[in-house]
Amino acid sequence: MHSGGNASSLPLVGGAPEPTINQLSKPGRRASRFPKLDVPVTEINNPAIRTDKPSLPEVSEHDLVMHYSRLAHRNFAVDVGFYPLGSCTMKYNPRFADYVASLNTFANSHPSTPEAFTQGNLEVLHELEGFLLEITGMDNATFQPPAGASGELTGLLIIKKYLEENNLTNKTDIIVPDSAHGTNPASARMAGFNVVEVSTDIRGMVNIDDLRSLVNENTAGLMLTNPNTGGLFEENIMEISNIIHESGGLVYYDGANLNAIVGVCRPGDMGFDIVHSNLHKTFATPHGGGGPGSGPVAVKSFLKEYLPGPIVEKNDDQYTWYTPSSSIGRMHGYHGNFLVALRALVYMKLLGKEGLDTLGSYAVLNARYLSSIISKIIPLAYNEPCMHEFVATVKDLKKSHKIKAYDVGKALLDKGFHSPTIYFPLIIEEALMFEPTETQTVDTLDDLAETLRIIIDELQGDDVSLESYPKNLPVGRPNELIPAKHLTVNWGDFELLEITE
Amino acid sequence: MFVPHSEIDLKKMFEELSISSLDDLFTHIPETLKLNDGLNVPATLSELESIAHFESVESKNTQNLICFAGGGHYDVYLPHTVKTLTMRPEFMTSYTPYQAEISQGILQILFEYQSLICDLTDMELANASLYDGATSVAEAISVAINKTKRDGVVVSNGFNPNTKEVVNTLVDKNKFNIKYVDLVDYQFPEDYIFTEEDAAFVVSLPHYEGSAQDLTSIVQNAKAAGVISICYVDPSMLGILKTPGSMGFDIVVAEGQSMGSPLSFGGPTVGWFATKKELARLVPGRIIGESRDANHTKTYVMTLRAREQDIRREKASSNICTNQTLNAVGSTIHLSWLGPQGLYEIGYQAIQKASYMKQQLLEHNFNISNQNNSLREFILETSRPAKDVIIEMGAKGFLAGIKYSENEILVAVTEKRTKNEIDDYISSLQEVVNA
Repeated sequence: MHSGGNASSLPLVGGAPEPTINQLSKPGRRASRFPKLDVPVTEINNPAIRTDKPSLPEVSEHDLVMHYSRLAHRNFAVDVGFYPLGSCTMKYNPRFADYVASLNTFANSHPSTPEAFTQGNLEVLHELEGFLLEITGMDNATFQPPAGASGELTGLLIIKKYLEENNLTNKTDIIVPDSAHGTNPASARMAGFNVVEVSTDIRGMVNIDDLRSLVNENTAGLMLTNPNTGGLFEENIMEISNIIHESGGLVYYDGANLNAIVGVCRPGDMGFDIVHSNLHKTFATPHGGGGPGSGPVAVKSFLKEYLPGPIVEKNDDQYTWYTPSSSIGRMHGYHGNFLVALRALVYMKLLGKEGLDTLGSYAVLNARYLSSIISKIIPLAYNEPCMHEFVATVKDLKKSHKIKAYDVGKALLDKGFHSPTIYFPLIIEEALMFEPTETQTVDTLDDLAETLRIIIDELQGDDVSLESYPKNLPVGRPNELIPAKHLTVNWGDFELLEITE
Repeated sequence: MFVPHSEIDLKKMFEELSISSLDDLFTHIPETLKLNDGLNVPATLSELESIAHFESVESKNTQNLICFAGGGHYDVYLPHTVKTLTMRPEFMTSYTPYQAEISQGILQILFEYQSLICDLTDMELANASLYDGATSVAEAISVAINKTKRDGVVVSNGFNPNTKEVVNTLVDKNKFNIKYVDLVDYQFPEDYIFTEEDAAFVVSLPHYEGSAQDLTSIVQNAKAAGVISICYVDPSMLGILKTPGSMGFDIVVAEGQSMGSPLSFGGPTVGWFATKKELARLVPGRIIGESRDANHTKTYVMTLRAREQDIRREKASSNICTNQTLNAVGSTIHLSWLGPQGLYEIGYQAIQKASYMKQQLLEHNFNISNQNNSLREFILETSRPAKDVIIEMGAKGFLAGIKYSENEILVAVTEKRTKNEIDDYISSLQEVVNA
């Protein structure tokens, strides 16, 4: 079987460990060169100045390039193979967006440059806001939050300030589904709310009866993804948002799963008052090994004046910064992750109406197809039509053969695929959560399912040592206790540890 | 666009699912919620058409302003070697390294990043990045509050106003008492008295205004009162400044843009965070540790995971998940490219060039508010409103600095500026103020 997403040919295999940049350092070597000082030298007298040189590695430029290029070879990536990683939307990141983000004043504007000199940058944010508001069905947006979790906190601080200004300070409870991302309860706590968990019903959706019993005069709001973290569309979403609104609370949309519904339906039409989007998921900006992201927050107009400022406004062809009158205050030192926002705009312009109208449909088609063929190998958690992702479980295989979700994930790595998300959502035992995104071919999906079938067979073999997977990678399963116990987080530490043990 | 499905593919997939159209995927969604006419957005653009569009938008920014603005973000030279290595797709398009076996590249770089930052600041443990300098200050304050269980926060007024605004947003004013302390002659007062209610002392090195002082004795006073001292340092000056660790600080944070990231209109950049091991379990964000696999091969892995939001949920020390890894990769490669001599030269040349500029400005009858204790950044007094001066200097090709007050501009000089640019700046400034 050949497929574009299978990375099993990668030369990641074997070999010695790569030394650290410090181990490559030799006194007197250097990569950097600077122009000669072209001003007369004056004596610097300040008690904060030191006389010795800083401690940094000394390497030649070629050694430096070889070292970091070899480290690049030891890394999986979207450009290398398929990540069926649920909840993460690891779609193709168009190369072209990087070109646009490298254009001179986009890449090199100082953030304090007055608006008169940065009309192009402000136009980018304004045009992107237009796309985002249309896609989400909202009225105003801020681009300050640099990531989804920061967007969540922004939304919650907006709810808090709104309640304060309306003398509703008794409203201290934020309701979060038991299937929610960990950032939801963590953000709610950071904003000073109590977290109240609502359970999931047998179909995998918010338990409406439980929700009714939890909602009271203290309800500040609800945080929800739709589709939820099980990949299911909350069919009773209008009833859910009505329940919260009737109590005087607000409804917050966690945009983690927005990819499923782009062009299909909109959070703003479902009763959500605040929506954050993850530009690094839905709008194809690269994940960067864990960041940077961008988590813009969009609100209905009655919440506009609470947004972190400044936000961009357009008056007679001029773009200006506007600070909302009741702003919660800044969430970022300047304008958020501008170059990430720019890449998202490039993606949206390339897709346009044709691409955006069908974006969610193709994402769902791929997931529904993959769920159908994978369900013939391992059972799905819910017997409901999935949206852009779905959850399968190996809890039966754990009972019969001690095979855990973790083992399946590790074995997949060996065969050229990234692991699906495992053990999430927390409410499903031995969960494997798959999200193929719309940019993978049907061949890659078939290949993944076939590989999964082979692995499940292999792992059930008589003499199998589950811990020995993965076998074909530069390193095997790491001992996770050593660094936690000995804090080997700074070079030199490990040598000390080995001497003392 | 970027959707690979051919008609043959669709036929096969529809058959598997027993459907006949994409719409059939959504029969379970209430009809009233569906977008029947699709989205009201412009038609698709080809890559070729988009080039013209985006180059035209970019050209609406004023081009080639020579940058004398700082305030945390500095026009330090960023070598192509650093840019191209950082943008390698294996780094740029990878996910968070939860699967250590196929993520040793990113994990090892982040381990090197943490270690380099510890070396540069004289700290013991760094995390794998936070969003930016401003949010890092707020996160550090929350570590100090959690550690001391006190509610006072002493913050130097010598900070970028935006940073103070972020602190005010993120530190709950109903629960905690933030006390801003004015600088005296551009120095934090040596005789400031900390109390047993204070959780944190937060100060910038150099101060926002560009002045620097040895903070050792103030940190000692804070320590004597049981206060956690937090230093916000300018990383591009770490080659020439005494280290925060040597001054006794407990936590060091920084806006890391000048090390490895272009100015980027302020983002994405990276927040550095380093501290002592005793605070390890309160540190926000990811931490990478060195370990071994079953064959005793060196293996890097994310560690102390129990602090994080995906495990501790509402009890987590911070809600941060996505961070600024790629910018941390940039910092690592840039610092390795610079080496000790390069980082020293960035600081040394900036200070020398700023000294020359200050001297020339004085000779041309301009006043500098903090002539004596400023290093690479200083406050220039303007006889006309600072706002107007900055706009008119823009027409002459200079980003003159950041408005500091009605009649003062904060001017920053980096190693990139030349004698000619400085001389031209001063003659343009004369034309502007005499106009």
